[in-house]
Amino acid sequence: MSNDTEKLAQEENPALVLAHLVEEDADRAPSAATGFLPIETNWFDRVFISVVLWVALSLFWFRFLEPLGLSIWLCLALSLIAAVFIIRKG
Amino acid sequence: MHSNRLGWLLLAPTMIILFFFGVVPFFYVIWVSFHQWNPFAANPNMVFNWASNYRQVVFDAQLMASLGVTFAFVFFAVVSELILGYLLAQAFMKDFPGKAFFRTIHTLPLIMAPIIVGSIWKLMTTPSIGIIPSLVQSWFGLDLNIGQSALAAFTVTVVMDIWHWTPLVTLSLIAALVSLPPDPFEQAQIDGANKRQIFWHITLPMIAPAVVATVFIRLMDALRTVDEVLMLTGGGPGSATRYIGVHIFKEVFPRTNYGYGSAISVVVLYMTIVICWLLYVGLIAPRNTKKG
Repeated sequence: MSNDTEKLAQEENPALVLAHLVEEDADRAPSAATGFLPIETNWFDRVFISVVLWVALSLFWFRFLEPLGLSIWLCLALSLIAAVFIIRKG
Repeated sequence: MHSNRLGWLLLAPTMIILFFFGVVPFFYVIWVSFHQWNPFAANPNMVFNWASNYRQVVFDAQLMASLGVTFAFVFFAVVSELILGYLLAQAFMKDFPGKAFFRTIHTLPLIMAPIIVGSIWKLMTTPSIGIIPSLVQSWFGLDLNIGQSALAAFTVTVVMDIWHWTPLVTLSLIAALVSLPPDPFEQAQIDGANKRQIFWHITLPMIAPAVVATVFIRLMDALRTVDEVLMLTGGGPGSATRYIGVHIFKEVFPRTNYGYGSAISVVVLYMTIVICWLLYVGLIAPRNTKKG
């Protein structure tokens, strides 16, 4: 039991103790992240952001980098790395 | 458990319809976008061509021009509709003679099919027979000819969209305004807040979710405007009103270039989703932003 719960127990208030225990045990938002992204995200948000980034990067690559000889597969590899980073750390 | 099964059972028809009319066509368009497919070409079969259609998309100058005019159209139309819709909603919150009649009349454009709206506006703006060029000539001394002037054609398409869709915004905002509790407004008046302060600090934050939802709906609709504009101007003069929907239509139907048309559609869908998501993140998510 945490200090708060012990304090409530000393005050002999079972309802409050129970409420506090329930709150302590309650599941947090399943995958609410505290990563580098400036908004609170779950894993689906981060997958979505990764796909958005992948498409934007691919279109940019087609327009500006592929004519210079850089293969689109390199873009795909970079996007995958970015996706893994965003999903794990975002 | 029983109610859970009943819930799925009740949802099933909608989900089945959505699957066949939403999910399947979506993946089909993505699949087609990776093919070269022109049924009237030398080879009418679908030929897988990797991402060649997407390569073509980013080098299509006509498409970029279409995107430019589309964004201008969306900006002017949606902002005007929002402002006008809010003013009308506020007007309908007050009592005045003939309010019920006028509220009914003002929603009539909503029930018209876009192709009918385009026809009506074409009749109204055709030089020599239309009422609008005649009025513009007599009031302002200007010659309004949407077949010759790019600016006139663009402006008329924006005005037509405003005329057609402002009632939707009004109805949404009336619903939001009616549901507001009176207490904060009374307290603000007691505290001496003026109308502008009440609007910025009480009304707007309280109706923000309705405003954002309405903007999303109008944004998505305006980005895929086709039939009204096709009927009114045909995308012209030149490419002044060749909005993205019109561009896709002309690519897919007259030219039967299904693969490339699908690729443009996917890119436009992508942009629509990203714009709406950015709006959501910018307007709604700050409330949920992490502290510290």
